[in-house]
Amino acid sequence: MGSVSGALPLPRFGARLAAKPRVDYENTPEGVLVRRLQGGDESAFREIVERYQSKVFSIIHGIVRQRNDVEDIAQQVFAKVFLSIASFDFRSSLITWIYKITVNECFDYLRKRKVRKLVYESDLSEDEARRVENSEPQVNRQEPVDASLARRDYVLKLLSRVSEEERMLLMLKEVEGYSVEELAERIGMNENTIKVKLFRARQKLVKAAQRLDRAPGLVAG
Amino acid sequence: MHAVVMQDLEEYLAGTLEPAGQRAVDAHLGVCQACRQEVAGMRDASLLFASLQFETDLAPGPGFYAGVMRQVEARKPVPPFAGLFNLNLAFGRRLVFTSLMTLAVLGSYLIARELRYPEGPSAEAVMAQESSAAADTASAQDRMLVTLAAYEH
Repeated sequence: MGSVSGALPLPRFGARLAAKPRVDYENTPEGVLVRRLQGGDESAFREIVERYQSKVFSIIHGIVRQRNDVEDIAQQVFAKVFLSIASFDFRSSLITWIYKITVNECFDYLRKRKVRKLVYESDLSEDEARRVENSEPQVNRQEPVDASLARRDYVLKLLSRVSEEERMLLMLKEVEGYSVEELAERIGMNENTIKVKLFRARQKLVKAAQRLDRAPGLVAG
Repeated sequence: MHAVVMQDLEEYLAGTLEPAGQRAVDAHLGVCQACRQEVAGMRDASLLFASLQFETDLAPGPGFYAGVMRQVEARKPVPPFAGLFNLNLAFGRRLVFTSLMTLAVLGSYLIARELRYPEGPSAEAVMAQESSAAADTASAQDRMLVTLAAYEH
């Protein structure tokens, strides 16, 4: 290992990549919808909601897995879309922008839920806490019932350690299965930039995983 | 991580690297322990994401769009002056209306009060008094001299 990532100059990913023309999102059908909404046409918003609500529901359900809360979070996502549409600048596709808002809302929800739980637990006296603990089903906490849910919790903890942009890139790449080329097109960055950002995000994930494995209590998300 | 791995990392992790590239990366990983460990960590993390892939059978309820619009209304920014006084808009409107009504009632009362007083002398009467000859008569001047003399004593 001659040079490690810290000392290595930024990778020259682009040697084999040809520059591609940028997609003009303003003149796509979804771009026309956005223009109409930016001009105050509320029926365009209804079309956007109808077009993307299923996708938004799947993303939310995949992350939070609380059926009861999915619709509430989805409503917050679309409300944010409506109120922020003026700032949408067509540098990325609309669905990528909505995807980013959705993932952020989900992580906000998870963070608030964790805070609520902590506040609730801190309000209990020692006796009450013991009583609640005893009333919970007797399961081995080191061995979660559903391994898939445990993996989900683990990856969410890791994702909470990276920036919003890195989180979105990782989700689009790993969950949605976009190639680097597709990501570059949808996000409006060149492929080299995407590769560098993904590389750094992956490094952060590995470091967070190492910390979590060493001291689970410290990194618990 | 060495450039030979880094430049094809995404394709390598996704399993979409061309055979020649795959052989080159594998050959390097065979001799470089640091790269091997780092790539293994990244691959492990990558595999975890499968737990987030989820096709849901959930569909929006009939009131979903109405709920979105309620959220929009609830989140709409409040004008700065209303925020300053910590008022909501409906209360602010009621306050302005009440103030205007109070002003109108007070104004009407003051006007009505003014009308109840008797009118003073008319303009014509005042002008006639000022131009009357009585003010310039000799007796009036005498009365003034007497008054001044009395004041000196």
